[in-house]
Amino acid sequence: MEDSDHPARILLVDDEDYLRNGVKRILQIEGFEVETAENGAEGIKKGTEFDFDVALLDLKMPDISGIEVLRMIRQARPNTICFMATAYASYETAVEATKLGAEGYILKPFTPDELIHNIEKGLQKRRLILEAERLKADREARLLELAFERSRLNTIINLLADGVLVINQFGEMVYYNPAALRYLDLDVILLAEEILEILPPEVKEIAQRMISKEKFEVMGESVQFKLSSNPDMFVEVTCSPIPDHDRKKIAGIVIVAKNITQFKEIEQLKSQFVSMVSHELKAPVAATIGFLDILLNPKMKLTDHQRSDFLNRSTARLRSLLTMVNDLLDISRIELNTVKREIVKIDLASLVQETVEMMQFEAAKKNITIKFSAGEIPFTIEADRLEIERVITNLMSNAVKYNKTDGEVLVSLKKKGAYIILEIKDTGIGLKPEEKNRLFSEFFRAKNEFTKSIHGTGLGLSIVKKTIDYYSGKIESESEYGKGTTFRVFLPEKILNK
Amino acid sequence: MSLIAIIDDDPDIIDATSLVLMANGFEVITANNPGDGLKIIQEQKPALVILDVMMQEPDDGFFLAQKLRREGVTTPILMYTSVSKALGFQFGKSDMVPVDDFVEKPVSADVLIAKVNKLLNKS
Repeated sequence: MEDSDHPARILLVDDEDYLRNGVKRILQIEGFEVETAENGAEGIKKGTEFDFDVALLDLKMPDISGIEVLRMIRQARPNTICFMATAYASYETAVEATKLGAEGYILKPFTPDELIHNIEKGLQKRRLILEAERLKADREARLLELAFERSRLNTIINLLADGVLVINQFGEMVYYNPAALRYLDLDVILLAEEILEILPPEVKEIAQRMISKEKFEVMGESVQFKLSSNPDMFVEVTCSPIPDHDRKKIAGIVIVAKNITQFKEIEQLKSQFVSMVSHELKAPVAATIGFLDILLNPKMKLTDHQRSDFLNRSTARLRSLLTMVNDLLDISRIELNTVKREIVKIDLASLVQETVEMMQFEAAKKNITIKFSAGEIPFTIEADRLEIERVITNLMSNAVKYNKTDGEVLVSLKKKGAYIILEIKDTGIGLKPEEKNRLFSEFFRAKNEFTKSIHGTGLGLSIVKKTIDYYSGKIESESEYGKGTTFRVFLPEKILNK
Repeated sequence: MSLIAIIDDDPDIIDATSLVLMANGFEVITANNPGDGLKIIQEQKPALVILDVMMQEPDDGFFLAQKLRREGVTTPILMYTSVSKALGFQFGKSDMVPVDDFVEKPVSADVLIAKVNKLLNKS
């Protein structure tokens, strides 16, 4: 095959030695690469094996006629340009040779100029043929690529979690994916269906306004609403105009619908939490300011006892505020997973024993007995010591704080499978059934005639639960109002996946 | 002298408010939950009720206010709130919140006494 950095390759088939050698020399002088064959059979062999640019075939050869050689070469190499060389051209052979695709006749005897001229013409034709073939192949490859690209794009859009709907400037549906039906409250839509009327009113309003605009401008408009067919689902729909080819007018609108239900739920939880936190933080501040105002007011006639009482109570409120802020920071650290932990092997039995001893002073005030029982086997877990100590202290201090005078706290350790179970049972005030669900939520504190004088932030059990969750453990509670509460903490012996 | 009922679940707020009111010549009765609050209002018929929102009680301050109005009690109610400003929502007098005025904690003695006097003179 001819290419730019290689001379054209020419096949010369002739049974006359002198002619073959003469022509070969002429062509070589012109810079061509020449291959020769001295009979029809050799010509066919060489001409079919290799894709020559041009072949010059003698019509009359003793073994196989030039016409036959032409047929075979054209069959195998349709892009090889073939010339017939003969001294006796007849009309019939000319017609047949042309039918078989010969480029032309070169009448013997020929001058070198005639020969070169014909060959140059042939090479030119060959270049055109090859170029056309290359373009055709290119185009086919590109069409295939385009078809593939389009189907891939369709698949991607169909699999999108967000709904996509495209309408043209007449308000007719042009394209949509399945999620669009779900999030735009539509049953079925047909291609080219007038869609504006069946869109949710919030979307229809925006789409209509956008379509009626004269000029295209880059913009997007969003709206959030609940689906009328499913009020639990919150969606956000964004409409953006699509420009026409010269970016002057609006060709249509692309509508993207997103399910934001979860986001809205989180948003609501967040504002509830902010509301609770601000309420809880403000209460001690308000009480303290109330006392300080009175203490600073010269018109107030206060006894010394009142003065010191108010100062003590203010201090107590501010201390509890500080504890609350620290607890909140701890909760946030646990949730953001920025707690610095030092995981070590902890002997739970001795840790519980230490905590029991620490609680004795507080328990003695209400004549409460704390009993601790654990078997002889070692109860070890892998965890951060301070964190686990806090869990135990929190639960044990609740068991004492919310107990009755002369009450009991029973603490025990057991082993079950790969878990250690810490059980803390009190004979305290217990929980009402409706209070149990809220036990581990922030700021929950059981409120009744027994708990009036008990101080707490309402964050302790929330921290306990979050800590136990971190260690892939579990906390259970059983309670009967007026009789007592039992907490059971399950902690794995070996720390999991941390 | 006028009798004023203070209903709040924060004992410190009850004590501070009581002291301010007593120093200004009012008589005070108190309750630390909505249930007891309803009882003292029904039994002692105060001239004014200072009622905290008491968000954490199952029957909160709003609930008690509605209950009082339903039972035909027309005593003026001054509601103590603590987070309305922080959350950016404004309470307004309505059927849901049938109270006569609001005061945001903490409140200075002067503002409290001014509001109390205004409500007492109106009725």
